[in-house]
Amino acid sequence: DSHIQYERVGADVTMKCGSMDWDAAVTWTANGTDIDESHLNGSYLILKNVDLTQSGQYSCYEGSSWHLKYQTYLRVGTPPKEPVLMCRSNNYPKGFYCSWHLPTPTYIPNSFNISVIHGTKEMVCVKDVFPKNRCHIRYLQLFLKVKYKVTLTVTNALGKNSTTLTFDEFAIVKPDPPESVVAKPVPNNPRRLEVSWQNPSSWPDPESFPLKFFLRYRPLILDQWQHVELSDGTSHTITDAYAGKEYIIQVAAKDNDIGTWSDWSVAVHATPWTEEPKHLTTEAQVTETTSASTSSFMPPPTTKICDKGAVVGSGAVAVCWTAGLVLAAYGVLFI
Amino acid sequence: MAAADSPSATLRRRDLCSRGIRLAGKMRSDVIDLLDTYVERQGLDASASVAAVEGVPVAAVERWDEQTGTQRLLENLAAYRAFRALLAQMLEEQREQVGEADAALGRALAAVLLQVSAFAYHLEELLQLENHGAPSEEGAGPPPPPHLSLFERKLRGLGVLRELAQWAVRSARDLRQLAKPSLGSSLAPSPAESP
Repeated sequence: DSHIQYERVGADVTMKCGSMDWDAAVTWTANGTDIDESHLNGSYLILKNVDLTQSGQYSCYEGSSWHLKYQTYLRVGTPPKEPVLMCRSNNYPKGFYCSWHLPTPTYIPNSFNISVIHGTKEMVCVKDVFPKNRCHIRYLQLFLKVKYKVTLTVTNALGKNSTTLTFDEFAIVKPDPPESVVAKPVPNNPRRLEVSWQNPSSWPDPESFPLKFFLRYRPLILDQWQHVELSDGTSHTITDAYAGKEYIIQVAAKDNDIGTWSDWSVAVHATPWTEEPKHLTTEAQVTETTSASTSSFMPPPTTKICDKGAVVGSGAVAVCWTAGLVLAAYGVLFI
Repeated sequence: MAAADSPSATLRRRDLCSRGIRLAGKMRSDVIDLLDTYVERQGLDASASVAAVEGVPVAAVERWDEQTGTQRLLENLAAYRAFRALLAQMLEEQREQVGEADAALGRALAAVLLQVSAFAYHLEELLQLENHGAPSEEGAGPPPPPHLSLFERKLRGLGVLRELAQWAVRSARDLRQLAKPSLGSSLAPSPAESP
């Protein structure tokens, strides 16, 4: 006859061997291993200040016959702390979802109950199959000032806790980040990068509910971002990129009128078009594998020789080209 | 009927809609600024909750996406006509209040009133385009609410402005729906115009 017993971390636990008398001779095991008699008070098992490692199956056997008299599964855990609740509409105006989690694990099963009240009406938040700690609501009315009040209660065998969020329809609108961000160099334009992206697929009606976008970009070697806000369109040409420098670019989205900015999109990298033919580097890398002697003459990337970006005086440019030619000549000698 | 579907009518509708959308956006932005000024000058708590105010058109709507174009225009027009009267009333009450500090509030109120009037006019134009014609305005607007204390009037004003801010968002959405090419005509519900 086995059952589950939940106890708090740090508690003192006394287990009785079923209906056996206190003075009966018994043996207790924990996960099949005999428990030392020092933990026994008569036939009672005493566990003081239990910790998580003491979770397991406890069995009590009658002394001589080894009949199993009692069995329990001890689960050591904690009552729930205040849960973390978040509600968001990434598919406005269809509805919103709420998701939650516990800040620290309880180590025992928890159940969650969510209630949504709108004005005087109680609404049903339909639990998602996946992810588990999430539910969604369809908007029945739009453009309402009346706030939504969402209360999440988490309960387990050792206690309960709850948290409440109050918000209005507009405040929780936050689209998903833009998708399919692509950045390409523009041929014959050493300072340009063409960036394009798509509306997040979760946003149901971008025609009626257009998004605006925020683009940020910087060369990898610098910390400071440049920002551009775009009120429409899903593309933009950067015209002030440093020549030859690799850039990192991200885009965020927001409903034109309400709510907050999305998280940043996945970052994309791109380098503006450069006049130095890239195939030189590729060739040098190929020859490196075939002939070790040429590897030391692999011309370093243009950015290292002529590390002045595009704003360069003609004299410096001449020096750059001269250096390039000399190295190329050296390379040729050793092929 | 035929005129409403002509290419020039479609273009005109599209043009009126996009200008209306911009107007609604500017109006919303100005109403939000006005709300800040109003709360400050009237000595109110910005988070004060105001019960539904009688005579103020409510922006909340069920099945918004199922509304016809004409329904949208008529509801919007009724709302902005009501706001025009309400704001005029607020402006008059505000002018009766003595104080230099309130001049700025008065100017801001007047500016929003102008935008509301312009928007109402815009809506009337759109309705004309649908050969619907704007419904006649009955009376001079809502009768002044009796026996409201100064504080109650201030709270009422807060409720008016908040609801107007909601409407400004809704109106932009309504006009975008109207401007959609798939909704060729905004006449009374005609089935199966969508692919």
